[in-house]
Amino acid sequence: MKKVIIKAGILTIVFLAFTLTSSAQLSKKRAAQKDTKAWKYEIECVGIGKPGTKVIKVWSYSNKASVAKMQAKKNAVHGIIFKGYTGGGRGCTSQKPLATDPNVEQQKEEFFDNFFNINGGKYMKFVAISGDSTPEVIKVKIKGFKYKVGIVVTVMTNNLRKNLEAAGVVRGLSSGF
Amino acid sequence: MKKILIAFTLILAGFTTTYGQAKKPTLMVVPSDVWCNTNGYMMEFDNQGTKIKIPDYKKALQENADLLLVISSINDMMAERGFPLKNMESALKTLASNAAEDNMRASKETGASVAENPIDMLKKVAKADIIIQMTWTVNKTGPKKSVTFILQGLDAYTDKQIAGANGTGAPSFSAEAPVLLKEAVTSHIDNFTGSLQSHFDDMFANGREIIVRIQTWDDWDGDLESEYGDDDDELGTIIEDWLADNTVKGRFSTTDMTETMALFEQVRIDLYNAKGRAQDARRFVKGLSKFLKNEPYNIPNKVVMKGLGRATVILGGK
Repeated sequence: MKKVIIKAGILTIVFLAFTLTSSAQLSKKRAAQKDTKAWKYEIECVGIGKPGTKVIKVWSYSNKASVAKMQAKKNAVHGIIFKGYTGGGRGCTSQKPLATDPNVEQQKEEFFDNFFNINGGKYMKFVAISGDSTPEVIKVKIKGFKYKVGIVVTVMTNNLRKNLEAAGVVRGLSSGF
Repeated sequence: MKKILIAFTLILAGFTTTYGQAKKPTLMVVPSDVWCNTNGYMMEFDNQGTKIKIPDYKKALQENADLLLVISSINDMMAERGFPLKNMESALKTLASNAAEDNMRASKETGASVAENPIDMLKKVAKADIIIQMTWTVNKTGPKKSVTFILQGLDAYTDKQIAGANGTGAPSFSAEAPVLLKEAVTSHIDNFTGSLQSHFDDMFANGREIIVRIQTWDDWDGDLESEYGDDDDELGTIIEDWLADNTVKGRFSTTDMTETMALFEQVRIDLYNAKGRAQDARRFVKGLSKFLKNEPYNIPNKVVMKGLGRATVILGGK
């Protein structure tokens, strides 16, 4: 009887630990989703990557540093599609956004809601954190945000552009010919 | 109701099938005169006392591996974007082999050779609708090297620069020139294709921009100041009115008009004609040719074309 009680106890503890971890993860994701909705981020070029890729540093803002790290990839992809960046050092040239129509985000709202979904959105396929990148955490005093976190990521711009062209979100160079 | 719906669907399907694809321009990467001159790939001629230099593309392509690397990189990146380019080296080789074949060709029955007038001979050059002209220089400051790279998209007919990208890359102590060149192409190609895309978007929205020339044969008894109709309108004005009626939003500029010639620039034409077929300068000008050939003008004429964007009507005969 005693053995059964011990076993049940262990199982309960394992179950609770698993549930709490998942719930914490979920709430982190929700917080990241909320912070990202405001699209408060900055991107800058840090070098020339391989053909078809862009190496950028994305600065994300959040109340928790870990949440800002989580949303870095999403912000990077969003930045390449809608913001672009100005040139910089190390041979960087300015980069126009992939979407030339600034209203396309509202026009294709459903597509982008799914694309940037924190639970398995397609954006994850087009971005990777650079192997030698250590997040740079800076404390800031901006209303609603406590941390600014900079992470170097690589965005597979060619694949991203092709995907957006196939979805009819942006026009390809040979569209109409 | 059902019948109306079916009929409507059929009409819509017919409409979308008829409106096919617009005529796709050809693009070709060509080294600029400045690059050829700097690197010693020029031919010099004495033209009645004046020395004239022209680029020797064949020599450049045969001797400069960096040039091949840059052309091949740009070709790759454009093909990857669904827009393969004409390769200049292949175009030059095809021209040479075609010329050799034409020289040897003879009719099996009569032994006649292929007809070729002087204009045909002049037209035998490597050409494209849009020329991607590139220039680069390797800058050296002590042991440091950097590359300044310029890409220009030039419309072969309107002579306008329709796309461009340029800049100087980061200086490097160790990287070789080909590595810096490859890096330069990689960093500039997106901006170049971006501006090219803007040009195509403008073309789809406002029509293709072409050049129309009017000339006259010297044995024709009329000219562009000849008057027609009840209002005694001059032929030049009649042609301007036709252009105003047939261009997109009446857009064109009369650059030159004399009694023997007229030049119209920035002529915006629809990408499709009334039958829904893709339209270029030649098809557009054919309309003007028919208009002048018919009553009340009865002016015989000849249409001469140059690629997608330039056409000339020569009045007074074929």
